[in-house]
Amino acid sequence: MSASEYPKGDPRAPIPVITPGHSFTSITDKLSDMVLTYNTPLAWVITTAIGFCLLMLLIVALAYLVFTGIGIWGNNAPVGWAFDIINFVWWIGIGHAGTLISAILLLFKQDWRTSINRFAEAMTLFAVACALIFPLFHTGRPWLAWYWLLPYPNTMALWPNFRSPLLWDVFAVGTYGSVSAIFWFTGLIPDLATFRDRAVHPVAKRIYGVLSLGWRGSARHWWRYETAYLLLAGLSTPLVLSVHTVVSFDFAVSVLPGWHATIFPPYFVAGAIFAGFAMVLTLAIPLRALYRLHDVITLRHIENMAKVTLVTGLIVVYGYACEAFFGWYSGSEYERFMLKNRIYYGPYAWSYWALLLCNFVVPQILWIKKFRHNLAIVFTVCMFVNVGMWLERFVIIVTSLHRDFLPSSWDMYYPTFWDFATLAGTIGLFLTLMFVFVRVLPMISIFEVRTLLPEAHPKPQHEEGAHR
Amino acid sequence: MATHSNDHLDEAVLMARPEAEIGRLGSRSLVLGGAGVLLALVGFFVSRETFLQSYLVGYIFWLSITLGSLGILMIHHLTGGAWGMVGRRIWEAGTKTLPLMVILFLPIAFNLEGLYAWARPEAAHDPVVQLKVAYLNAPFFYVRAVLFFVIWGGLIYVLNRWSREQDEEPARLIGPKDRRFRLLSGPGLCLLVITVTFMSVDWVMSLDPHFYSTIFGVLMLGGQGLATMAFTILVLSALVRFDPMARVAKPDVFHDLGKLMFAFVMLWAYFNVSQLLIIWSANLPEEIPFYLERLNGPWRWVSTILLLLQFVLPFLFLLSRDLKRNPSAVRWVATVILVMRVVDLVWTIGPVFRHEGSGLHWLDFALVLAIGALWLPLFWRSLAGRPLVPARDPYFKEAMAHVGH
Repeated sequence: MSASEYPKGDPRAPIPVITPGHSFTSITDKLSDMVLTYNTPLAWVITTAIGFCLLMLLIVALAYLVFTGIGIWGNNAPVGWAFDIINFVWWIGIGHAGTLISAILLLFKQDWRTSINRFAEAMTLFAVACALIFPLFHTGRPWLAWYWLLPYPNTMALWPNFRSPLLWDVFAVGTYGSVSAIFWFTGLIPDLATFRDRAVHPVAKRIYGVLSLGWRGSARHWWRYETAYLLLAGLSTPLVLSVHTVVSFDFAVSVLPGWHATIFPPYFVAGAIFAGFAMVLTLAIPLRALYRLHDVITLRHIENMAKVTLVTGLIVVYGYACEAFFGWYSGSEYERFMLKNRIYYGPYAWSYWALLLCNFVVPQILWIKKFRHNLAIVFTVCMFVNVGMWLERFVIIVTSLHRDFLPSSWDMYYPTFWDFATLAGTIGLFLTLMFVFVRVLPMISIFEVRTLLPEAHPKPQHEEGAHR
Repeated sequence: MATHSNDHLDEAVLMARPEAEIGRLGSRSLVLGGAGVLLALVGFFVSRETFLQSYLVGYIFWLSITLGSLGILMIHHLTGGAWGMVGRRIWEAGTKTLPLMVILFLPIAFNLEGLYAWARPEAAHDPVVQLKVAYLNAPFFYVRAVLFFVIWGGLIYVLNRWSREQDEEPARLIGPKDRRFRLLSGPGLCLLVITVTFMSVDWVMSLDPHFYSTIFGVLMLGGQGLATMAFTILVLSALVRFDPMARVAKPDVFHDLGKLMFAFVMLWAYFNVSQLLIIWSANLPEEIPFYLERLNGPWRWVSTILLLLQFVLPFLFLLSRDLKRNPSAVRWVATVILVMRVVDLVWTIGPVFRHEGSGLHWLDFALVLAIGALWLPLFWRSLAGRPLVPARDPYFKEAMAHVGH
């Protein structure tokens, strides 16, 4: 909505996507100067250092794992899958916001996405990288994993089990990772060319020059580029649904109560978007302050993302409610026991209530517009969601496994130091990659933000409005 | 985007009420409905049992458009956009059929034993049903039904009254009052989703009290959305032939509505594949009979038709941009989808009762037409009773500014 229909000065009028007063030059200067400068903000150095230390911890944890075996983790007989799959699903979920923002919001003509899509896409790639570490190292001998996971005609005529969703995961995540990378890189090309033209240091000029693939910005280039970008968006859209659908199948196609629920696919997808948007906000709010991006990432973006978080959060809560109701309604002894065990009976009941606090109670604050405009509150809610979505997978995986059909095999699960170290380590990997990205590549799509400026839309005088 | 003047969006023209034209459309739909009523009467005397089952199919079909209209109306209030401005009166008129649906619920309410296994005396000996008796019992069933109608009725009444107030006031800038649609629609949608979920359990899923599927409510919601989008496109393709719709329902708008219908087609398929794959691979005795029944015997070919005509065919056709922008082409896809919505409901409801024969029964379609003979006149009358375009909505001009041609 343009502000033109509101009485002048009405506080209810929507905030513009880009703070008025910018020109093509000022936007390009501002966004490219973040990278093409010798001044690195101190906060950047500190955060990257923390991330890097955690990354070292990851390397130690993985090295120890490879030398010793996965016995260093807390996994045991009934809970054969724990932190490894929890963290895998958590990271994959976080990765969903990038594709949603870049593909689905593009198709929905939501032009505010242009300020946030680039780093959300980068976040997707880094989250997928973090996620892949877990299943890969859970194989114990990751250097052999390709032989077990990829279907290829080998001398023993052995194939992976095509009926197993774990194999579909390999294909789904592989497709997702590669398409996201192509999408991200395609989006970068015009900006890389801008960097090539603006960089002063000859090495930087050379690197950006090679990466920009000979982009000259001719009309023909743009025409082909826009077509390719739209096609990639169309191709990526089903991937937003498919990856987490397949991840949900990892659980749902089994017969285990707490895993076997037909609502899992849509509910996992909503959870992934929920977690992803919360993570985008978690990153956007500090980065916006660090690089003074208030003109480009406005409260409009924060508010819209908060709304998406709220809506997807409500869908997730709908999933919890359906699971609880149908668990009882099924009349099945095992389903009902699982439910009781999960909610009040079992030793992990605390995690269910903590989950409800994080994913249900706290995000409801986002119904109120005043709070959606308060960065501290939005940030806090997002931290709760980040934790909540991790707990959700903990509840689904550990609570369902630790009390299976046979009471004699029941056991408790306790994560070890190495479980936590690997989780913290992937957070370090994520932070490091993210901050290196922000330092060397345009974090915000310069050419797309330029299209939001009034300059890009010469219009007759009587029509106001900053964008289409 | 092209620049445009809004001269063709003159308020006086848009606020016109083309009662004669709508009346003609209404009488055309009566002919089909009349035939349906006659057939239904014949069927009532031929087989009471089948009549009741088909009645439930017809009832749930029309209710899905009433409630789907309410849902999409509230989504439109939350998101805005030209597609919603053009469809709004259709959905508002759709929701106003709720009083009729309350009356038409009575035959179901008075025939619980004929439809629902848990309501029959034999259920007392069924151990599984006994475990659910706290939920599946007649008094609680009625209480819930009343609650559903009260919630739906409340939302429908308030949204329609506010919309009428908006029409009566002269156009103006966006004021504090215009937020109320949005403020109600957020919580309203939550209520609708919850009530429709439980409605789908009560009125459809509990026909077979042993079966349960957590995605069932979502399937019902998706089906309502799909039916409503198809119905909207069908009605709009008739209204677009004369003013004022001809001025606002441009190919751009049809394109957007077509894309939404396309999205619902894919969602429908997605939800169904999810349910099928999960139940099939677990192969649990309490769930698998649902699919054993439907993928074998007489229902096998119904399943195949559903797959081909509710997914494959609409999917392939709706990929085309030109088709979505052409009202006289896209309405055929919408018609197929609406017919398939009926078949889908028969596929869901029928196998509980019919294990032999052809699966589909002519009475299913007769009753859809017969209930339509009551539903549609009410719909057309409500539609004719209000200006066809919400031209006095302060957001209207802004939304239409995005429409090219």
